[in-house]
Amino acid sequence: MDFMMKLFSLTCKDTSPLISEMMDHRVPLLKRWKIKIHLSLCQVCMYYKEQLQTIRSLAKKLGQEDVPVKKETTLPQEAKEKLKLMIETNK
Amino acid sequence: MNKQSIDASQWVDRYGDLMYRFTLVRVKDPGIAEEIVQVTFFAALQSVHSFAGRSSEKSWLFGILKHKILDHFREVKKNRIYDTSLPEDQDPFEYDPSGHWRKMPQNWNLDPEKASENQALTEALARCLDDLPEKFREVFVLKEIEGLDSEQICNDFNIKPTNLWVILHRARNKLKKCLETHWFDLEGQD
Repeated sequence: MDFMMKLFSLTCKDTSPLISEMMDHRVPLLKRWKIKIHLSLCQVCMYYKEQLQTIRSLAKKLGQEDVPVKKETTLPQEAKEKLKLMIETNK
Repeated sequence: MNKQSIDASQWVDRYGDLMYRFTLVRVKDPGIAEEIVQVTFFAALQSVHSFAGRSSEKSWLFGILKHKILDHFREVKKNRIYDTSLPEDQDPFEYDPSGHWRKMPQNWNLDPEKASENQALTEALARCLDDLPEKFREVFVLKEIEGLDSEQICNDFNIKPTNLWVILHRARNKLKKCLETHWFDLEGQD
């Protein structure tokens, strides 16, 4: 029984990198089971998982063409003039 | 259907700021971002003839911009070692000898799917991202903002898969810690 427990049990320290890893590729079945079992018993690791998913969802939003942040940031006027000149010359 | 047309003389006024901001989210340095926008416009002028009009002028320009941003990342990686051995690279969270969190993750009380509707929180993440050490920021941007798959990042940037998982885990943890300090005000709570 002890052997079985060891086989399936993970600590939070083991689980934290695996939660992250699971977001990046398909982890082997046994590992996935172990993570699932740990998460079903550990509320704080579940919070951790949701936090990483929240960060992922915010990052996805940041990546959009209509950038949701830095709205006050514009190309410096001088750079704009230079670009316009470059475009006019190479059109 | 009307074909979309190109009007290069309007590019800077129409898309300049947007392309600049799009680039700044990814490369951080304003000088480099300016340069990438310039290189993009130049490349676009060279390939105006290949613009088929199937997409809008804007999507076409952004397509070129994305390529130029990736070119920039490929260029920097020549001088970058993606190791994680330095003290500042370590996991910002600690565990006790039995493997429990020393500082328990708290409930953020957010639906991960809807979190991005929160404008101020998205801005907080952008600031935290700018504070990440460069190698973590680059890899995180490639994976989570550019949406490259892990295999492509490993191949293009010469990173071993196990190292990639470590870098992404550390990057996410650093972002989590930063958000908790500056946004959720959870730092110091147990």
